[in-house]
Amino acid sequence: MKKFLAMVLALAMIMALGMSGAAFAADDEYEIVVVPKDSSNPWFVRMKAGVDEYAELNSDHEIYQKGTDEIDATKQAQLVEDLIAQGVDAICVVPVDIESMDAALKKAMDAGIVVIAHEGAALTNVNYDIEAFSNSAYGAFIMDNLAQAMGEEGVYTTMVADLTNGSHNEWADGGVAHQKEAYPNMTLLEAMPRVESHDNGDTAYNVAKELFKTYPELKGIMGTSSFDAPGVARAIEELGLVDKAFTSGTGMPADNAELLKSGVVKSLTLWDPALAGQAMVSLAIKVLNGEELGDVVDLGVDGYTELQLREGSETVLEGQGWVTIDAENVDSFGF
Amino acid sequence: MDTVKRIYNKNREVYRLLLIIVLWMIFMAITKFKKFYSFKNFQTIASQFPEYGLMALGCMLCMMTGGIDLSCVGVANLTSILVVNLLIAQFGAEGSMPLGYTVVLFAVAVVLGAVAGAFNGFLISTVGVPPILATLGVNELLTGISIVLTGGSPVSSFPKEFCELFSTNIGGVVPVRLVMFIVVAIVIWFMLEKTDYGLKIKLLGTNQNVAKFSGLNNVGLLMKTYITAGICSALGGMLMMSNYASVRADYGSQYTMQAILIVVLGGVSPNGGTGKLSGVCTAIVLLKLLESGINRFHNISSYYISLIWGGVLILALVMDYFSNGQHKKV
Repeated sequence: MKKFLAMVLALAMIMALGMSGAAFAADDEYEIVVVPKDSSNPWFVRMKAGVDEYAELNSDHEIYQKGTDEIDATKQAQLVEDLIAQGVDAICVVPVDIESMDAALKKAMDAGIVVIAHEGAALTNVNYDIEAFSNSAYGAFIMDNLAQAMGEEGVYTTMVADLTNGSHNEWADGGVAHQKEAYPNMTLLEAMPRVESHDNGDTAYNVAKELFKTYPELKGIMGTSSFDAPGVARAIEELGLVDKAFTSGTGMPADNAELLKSGVVKSLTLWDPALAGQAMVSLAIKVLNGEELGDVVDLGVDGYTELQLREGSETVLEGQGWVTIDAENVDSFGF
Repeated sequence: MDTVKRIYNKNREVYRLLLIIVLWMIFMAITKFKKFYSFKNFQTIASQFPEYGLMALGCMLCMMTGGIDLSCVGVANLTSILVVNLLIAQFGAEGSMPLGYTVVLFAVAVVLGAVAGAFNGFLISTVGVPPILATLGVNELLTGISIVLTGGSPVSSFPKEFCELFSTNIGGVVPVRLVMFIVVAIVIWFMLEKTDYGLKIKLLGTNQNVAKFSGLNNVGLLMKTYITAGICSALGGMLMMSNYASVRADYGSQYTMQAILIVVLGGVSPNGGTGKLSGVCTAIVLLKLLESGINRFHNISSYYISLIWGGVLILALVMDYFSNGQHKKV
């Protein structure tokens, strides 16, 4: 028993020594944490790369990204509460669920912590929410890509991660509105105008397969989350519908290089999560420094140099950060 | 050393965990003293663990009878959704609720939890479905009903007086949620230690046939156990509703596994028949201290939380093995 106890104690000491190196870092000016939806999704792995790069360039602040191990609204809210208790200076968050996150962020604001959100336009307890672009304009941009693939005609539907997700639904709405204006020969599938993928490629694949089987007239699916279009593409490929059915939407270049090159997907749309992460941190520093933000905000990050407040909102800032990815440029992104 | 050993063995379930807690607290003191040892941090911890702590207490009773409760999250979410529907029906989505109505809400939650628990108990004791299947089925059923009721989206427009009440700290110090947890823990302690219920369910958990032929009312005992577990889960759901100021069919979906981990870590045998409330309560606190502590290290991924939880479970089992003297017998 004694020997065993000694062993456990020794083990704990060794662990403590190993970790304390990082623990005794110099007192930083600001501690800024980026909380993504989870930490394994490639989207947020990319965001972490951007945040880490920014942290290196601004080493007088303590900047880091910390996420939960799986997408879960309650876990994320608890992580934010934990960070509040820790007394960080700013929290930058990409919320899983608007409602539960808003309650947690209220506690942060009450504690005097600066809160910057991304993809959470409906949050009320934030200093600012950064959107890479105006949501309806990005939706229209996806629609342009989808319409081009579909030859500007046929029946289509929209896919979002969750019906409760703020931005995804606004993109889908924007896409549908743009179609009604610009592509009169296209129609929205009345029976199923919006389906959910839960940010999961397998779900997107299964839902799409179901849809194409149930509605043979369906010719296109507009994706929003980075799992939607790739999942739909798998279904298109498996059902032998290549060049008969089409999809477009957000997608990561490296993961989808094969799909783009083989022609199953004609084009994907994107903004760079690394830059979005940097923009959040940059804005957090500005707010912490008490800088006056003008009508047009320049965060010094590509695509986020001319941010403007959304009409009728005092917290939502919109940039111009979208890009098209196709077979030709897919390898040039480096992630 | 013998005295130490004797004290340790007297309540091994608790002391082995306390030992791990002390080691962890020393470790945190060495590495992150300023960030971990703050009043605010411990207050946050104390207001976060009750919601799954309550579910773990219910699961503990079931496991003592040799069963299990996999339906706790389903019961919790359905309860909170129905309570919110009641609130909206009574006061409207934008209305306000008189604080006295909290009593009604809790009465409704307790009844809902009891009904769900009774259904579990009926399936297990009368129909004879194995507990793991019965409660898994009930969980799916209740989650399904929750999804149908809400369409899968969260509901957040309802009178929030209840949520505010349960987010406050009494005298700015003690979280109301913690008080709620302590009250339930005392009730369960009373049932286990001051009535013959505790002894009976342990006998039932040890050997169902012997219990039956000793004249115990197995059906009644199982019903009572699963009804208590259902009520615990329902109360856990009320706390989740107050914490997130919204309800949704899939909040806290990882809590089922967490509750089982806690109960086993707390020294309750998965085969039934043994277990102490004090052990489970210590395990609840230990798990939260670990999670909260790991969140202080920003270069350590959250993946390590489950890794460390698993490691602690194995460590506790190994400590049991050595202090049992089993290694000498082999």
